[in-house]
Amino acid sequence: MADQATFEEQAMPFAGQLYSAALRMTRNPSDAEDVVQETYLKAFRAFGSFQDGTNLKAWLYRILTNTYINKYRKKQRRPSEVELGELQDLYLYRRMGEASGASVSAEEDALANFVDTDIVHALESLPDNFRMPVLMADVEGFSYKEIAEMLDVPIGTVMSRLHRGRKALQKKLWSVAEARGMTGPAS
Amino acid sequence: MKSGCDHAVEYIYHYLDGEISWTREQRIRWHLRRCRDCVGAYDFEAGLKSAIARAARTDVPPELFTRLQTLLEQEIGNGS
Repeated sequence: MADQATFEEQAMPFAGQLYSAALRMTRNPSDAEDVVQETYLKAFRAFGSFQDGTNLKAWLYRILTNTYINKYRKKQRRPSEVELGELQDLYLYRRMGEASGASVSAEEDALANFVDTDIVHALESLPDNFRMPVLMADVEGFSYKEIAEMLDVPIGTVMSRLHRGRKALQKKLWSVAEARGMTGPAS
Repeated sequence: MKSGCDHAVEYIYHYLDGEISWTREQRIRWHLRRCRDCVGAYDFEAGLKSAIARAARTDVPPELFTRLQTLLEQEIGNGS
């Protein structure tokens, strides 16, 4: 049993992470603020059921995820699918390597072609089903098991969505690279 | 038996996500000592993973922080 009197002190340090997550989910600052406020309110009211000593971040993140899904995904009955076709493993790494003709030691320079907003736009282009596991794994560092519990799907589903989500993200980044003409041999 | 490269590529995300068995991890570590192409791929994917984590972070608007505090104090005041 957790004591509500300590809620603010324990939960507020996660406000930044929860807001970032909400912003990446909703793609909109004012919706993100709404989701975070609702999350804190629900969490405060339910804090008695939180087991002290367990993972508070995961508990809060789960409430955030459910709040987002209930609020913004009701209309979307059919899970959206990304049209990927058969994407090669290491898609972006291979494409960029071929394009620059560079040796494999150039991977850090290759990533330097992308600014933060490129990555955010690529993330935001993913449908929810794929974006959520990528956010949870890459940004929050949650385990597959934790992600499965939060999204209420089997671990195998988490792994396959992560895999496909990452490929879709790489495909998007590659299209950015192509559009910028980063694809010719390095001069 | 899969080649070292195939094995390393197949389990790259399990490895980077820390979701891999000890045996597979050791096999990959051993392979990476000898294979520059796979080292390149691993560095690239690890770099992309941290770039995603960095890019996705945003500071909380200070007003939201204040609003959350007010909200919680009201709740406490309500003696919920």
